[in-house]
Amino acid sequence: MQLDNLNREHMCSGHVGCPGCGAALAMRFLLKALGNKTIMIIPACCWSIIAGPYPQSTLKIPVLHSAFETGGAVASGVRAAHDIKGDTETTVVTWAGDGGTFDIGFQALSGAVERNENFIYVCYDNEAYMNTGVQRSSSTPYGAWTTTTPGQHWKRLRKKNIVEALVAHRIPYAATASIAFPEDLMRKAKKAKDMAGSRFIHIFSSCPTGWGMPSEMSVKIARMAVQTTIFPLYEVEDGLRYTINYTPKGYLVNEYFRLQGRFKHLTEEDLNSIQEMVDEDWNLLLRKAGVALETS
Amino acid sequence: MRHVLEGSHAVSEAVRLARTQVISAYPITPQTHIVEQLSEYCANGTLDARFLRVESEHSALAALIGAASSGVRTFTATSSQGLALMHELLHWASGARLPIVMAQVNRAMAPGWNIWADQTDSLAQRDTGWVQFYCENGQEVLDTTIQAFRLAEWVNLPVMVNLDAFFLSHTYEPVDVPDQKSVDSFLPPYKPRFQLDLANPCAFNQLAPPNIYMEMRHNIQMAMDEAFTFFEQMEEEFDTILGRRHGSVEAIRCDDAEVILITSGTVTSTSRQVVANLREKGEKVGLLKIKLFRPFPVNLLRELTKPASKIAVIDRNFSFGASGIFAQEVKAALCNFPGHPPVYGYVAGLGGRDITTEVIEDIYWLTKNSTAPENESSWVGLREVDHAVGQS
Amino acid sequence: MAAQQTPTNRTPLLIPCSYLTTEGNKTGSWRFLRPRYEEKTSPCSAACPAGEDIGRVEMLTAQGSFKEAWETVMMENPFPGVCGRVCYHPCEQQCNRREFDEPVAIHSLERFLADTASRYELQLSLQKLESKKQKIAVVGSGPSGLAAGYFLTLLGYQADIFEALPEPGGVLRWGIPLYRLPLSILNREIAQIRELGVQIHCGKSILQEFWRGGKSEYDAIFLGCGHSRSLPLKISGEDLAGVKDGLQFLADIRRGEVSALDGTAAVIGGGNTAVDTARSAARFGAKVILIYRRRRQDMPAFAEEVEMALEEGVELWELQTPVNIAAQDGDFVVTLQHTHVIGKDGQRKARVKPDSNKKKEIRVQHLFKAIGAEAGETWHDPPKKTRGMLGLSNCVLLHKSREPTLVYGGDLVADIKSVAHAVASGKQAAIALDILFHEGLDAVRPRLQSCLVAEGPSISWETYIGGPRSLRNQRVVRYSDLNTDYFQFAPMMIQPRLLPEERFQSFAEINLKIGASLAIREAERCFNCGLCNQCDNCHLFCPEIAVTRDNNPRGRHINYDYCKGCGLCVVECPRNAMILEEELLCDTS
Repeated sequence: MQLDNLNREHMCSGHVGCPGCGAALAMRFLLKALGNKTIMIIPACCWSIIAGPYPQSTLKIPVLHSAFETGGAVASGVRAAHDIKGDTETTVVTWAGDGGTFDIGFQALSGAVERNENFIYVCYDNEAYMNTGVQRSSSTPYGAWTTTTPGQHWKRLRKKNIVEALVAHRIPYAATASIAFPEDLMRKAKKAKDMAGSRFIHIFSSCPTGWGMPSEMSVKIARMAVQTTIFPLYEVEDGLRYTINYTPKGYLVNEYFRLQGRFKHLTEEDLNSIQEMVDEDWNLLLRKAGVALETS
Repeated sequence: MRHVLEGSHAVSEAVRLARTQVISAYPITPQTHIVEQLSEYCANGTLDARFLRVESEHSALAALIGAASSGVRTFTATSSQGLALMHELLHWASGARLPIVMAQVNRAMAPGWNIWADQTDSLAQRDTGWVQFYCENGQEVLDTTIQAFRLAEWVNLPVMVNLDAFFLSHTYEPVDVPDQKSVDSFLPPYKPRFQLDLANPCAFNQLAPPNIYMEMRHNIQMAMDEAFTFFEQMEEEFDTILGRRHGSVEAIRCDDAEVILITSGTVTSTSRQVVANLREKGEKVGLLKIKLFRPFPVNLLRELTKPASKIAVIDRNFSFGASGIFAQEVKAALCNFPGHPPVYGYVAGLGGRDITTEVIEDIYWLTKNSTAPENESSWVGLREVDHAVGQS
Repeated sequence: MAAQQTPTNRTPLLIPCSYLTTEGNKTGSWRFLRPRYEEKTSPCSAACPAGEDIGRVEMLTAQGSFKEAWETVMMENPFPGVCGRVCYHPCEQQCNRREFDEPVAIHSLERFLADTASRYELQLSLQKLESKKQKIAVVGSGPSGLAAGYFLTLLGYQADIFEALPEPGGVLRWGIPLYRLPLSILNREIAQIRELGVQIHCGKSILQEFWRGGKSEYDAIFLGCGHSRSLPLKISGEDLAGVKDGLQFLADIRRGEVSALDGTAAVIGGGNTAVDTARSAARFGAKVILIYRRRRQDMPAFAEEVEMALEEGVELWELQTPVNIAAQDGDFVVTLQHTHVIGKDGQRKARVKPDSNKKKEIRVQHLFKAIGAEAGETWHDPPKKTRGMLGLSNCVLLHKSREPTLVYGGDLVADIKSVAHAVASGKQAAIALDILFHEGLDAVRPRLQSCLVAEGPSISWETYIGGPRSLRNQRVVRYSDLNTDYFQFAPMMIQPRLLPEERFQSFAEINLKIGASLAIREAERCFNCGLCNQCDNCHLFCPEIAVTRDNNPRGRHINYDYCKGCGLCVVECPRNAMILEEELLCDTS
């Protein structure tokens, strides 16, 4: 693995993330790419706690903790203030969980993106409201147990496709990323940093605690999510040009699901229909990538 | 220089003169004229500021929280539903000690939809830690808005400047608009005591456990105390530069009054007329205008109401299950003051119903002729209605 | 009016704003499992009879550290140039990479390192241990004898090798054709051994009397004489004039005493010597038939050699055995008996039985027998079980109170006759003697046990002298122990060779050399099973940023103040160089 910025850390040890926390890794990789000329807004999410209580902070950059649904709006204000002061260089980043992005924070995000605010919005996605104890969000995948989708009421609705929702806004840059592919993540963060307008990165961040798996599987499960095309790695520029970054070689979804306690209730039949859904989504993405090539 | 301005534009002129840097607002009647004017000023370069056309009031205040945390002067305006939507962040702005200034047009809360004057919207937010002013006329609106920035930046608390819907916001009056130089000498550029700073990175507004939260809250109250004293000092300065002041309260002919009327907002103007009329008829009546509501001017209230044997508070607002809010606050301020006069509460003018001189006179006579207050607040001028659900 | 408010008497702000980092939280206290770096054993090194540290050799090669890689080989085997050409490379058959795509070309890489050392005239910087007083005589300068001499010298002893023939090398010189092993390579590696201080005395035959009765100046004798007498066919006609011995034929070629062979040559046998004889005869112009009593897959000869023999035009007649040889007009008429398979033996090789009455005759101009060899003298063979005898895995030690200790090694005791086994034998003998001299006979077996590479018989010199390898866990890393997510498919390099039609025209070396970039590329395919190659996955994937680099380039270390024991480092290590164990409750480190 060739990374020339291996030595730069903008985060400290001693944070209170769970052992094996994917979100901690995601933050670490992101900051390596963005550097410390960055201001970060953190609406309510796991990282509100991970970052450490008063009077501590685990991040070596200025951080503004904010209310749950305000990620996109607070960033807009921070950007406006810096611009009016003459600082157009500092990167303004919102770092939000799936709750603050897909659900309660969607309005502010959509508003900010529609205005093409000049900031980067990064959603680290652990697929439920983890900070409050594993309740379902609209990013919880089909088939998952959560405390609000328990037993036979496991979530029978698909995961909301946030990237496509933002692509519909014609956002200048939207990309998916994964903690299992750090170079790809860092490349995308760096690319986003050098662009203007609204930029969105959706990072798959495993949660051993909430997903019912051993902490050491965090990275492996994230890799499997990409390899099975459950969470494909791709980028979209200007809401038009799709680039698929990784084309895996036909891994079936079964093992991915079998390794996580939150899916243990799924039957063979369930897994088969899930495989069909995953294939359908992947084909749709391929078509989008292909169609875009024809028209651009 | 004197101009004929509607109240809304008095606000926008003040915001312009204050050299506000980031404005973020969502339109709601009757605040729209404020932000439209400011939007134009930003567009044509009259005001060098960023105007964020956010998608809701909640986001408007959120954006300003971000901007103020970055060390710039910020402003928003809203009314009723919009203010209510901001509620969570009103707490946030004061807890984060950000000097955000808001012009708040007092409008009734829905349902039913009612866009006219009613103070319940801002008073329902009295616990959120914002300094609150209630303005009587256009001049006061302009002056107070300018002063709001100075005060907010001194004590690090957000400040809400309230003005009645339509009666003030859309009424044209002659207003003296000061020149930029005078305002600059009164209101220097914002020097934040803290801000997001790359050179000195830290995290703001993170988890504050029980062992420290209470001290932070106490620190807010200390700022409120300081706001009170600083306001007087500030008005002194303002007076020196611009030759006028309004006072946190204003007592009109209270020294020898037997009945003192307590009002706020535009009702005060009408009340002045009523007091003048009654005095001519020999009635010993006075008028106490409350302009500064948070922090509540407890001592001043006690002092100025001493002479009276009865106090009549006129509330254009209500707290259900209790009483009119100014009445509550006045009672609370006086209750530990031995020998204080009884407080008669009156509710009038909700949802923009006109409070005429007749209404006020009725209130005076009712008060004068009662031996004791019958209830916490008396509703004045209720009409007979039919077509209530369940009515036969 | 209250006192004037000025910037100095303003109430200080108490806001939620940080002024410390989280480094005060020693989250290491959360841990109930503790990760640790622990290097384990690669299967190739366990399979190598000489116990070469192959995983590490390839790591160093991939990094371009050719000298260090070569020296790592030399620590276990002084013949990388030879083995890199003639070894049957059991390492490649155990290579974990073969379950991923194809094994690593360890064999070719070993040759590359030796060739590089030779080309750049690299000097070995292995330290000899301090001089010891004992002297050891080595009988025979074949690979086992030379290896014994090499390791004894490294241990600080004076070793004298006695070789009956005029030049050293044994079977390496006389029994392996030049197209497999050029002389220059052999000479250089023998010269290297001499430079270390080993004395080789050629033209000196050793007899039993050398150490029997009376004082010998030697404290021990290593017998590496090898098997110099061919096994007889035990059929009539085998002693007819002109019936040649395969091994003898190869030696004759070396001495330049062979000229063109016309007509047909039959070679009886299926081992390497038979195949070498066949291919050599082909080069002298004969049409060669190789006759073997079992099937091709049962032949002890290396499969590659058989393949090349067939490419070179040698015909293989399986399931045939000679029963009679007759002379006729200067030719030989050989009667062959067909056999058929009746079952399998312990090694899955066929057991055969003559097919009754199915016979045929062939007429050939040249006849060679190469069905195996045995000791040249009866006293070369180790005795049956007797007092003071220690039967080790690669040699037999006979300790007598008033005589020098005898060690029987090399082909004399080997199950599998290969150069690598010979080296292993010499190494084991040297180390066994060192233990014997310092700690007594009873310590030999247990001490040798502690130098095992894994469970198998291979032992490591580096481990014996307490080098870094001695810290390694002997557990062998299997394919399922690896995290192959980090590896890309890449085919095994193709060993460049002379074209088939070029080969049998001469005795020129068939395998050609490879360049450094191909070597590095191939070495990079090595998974380095069980070894840390500083890929930094552990460092990268630690959510606590608790893995940092040492100044020591071989190491990473874990900051246990913050390590929560999540285990990500252990799982994401592609090569299983870490372990996760239970946190000790009273651990104070």
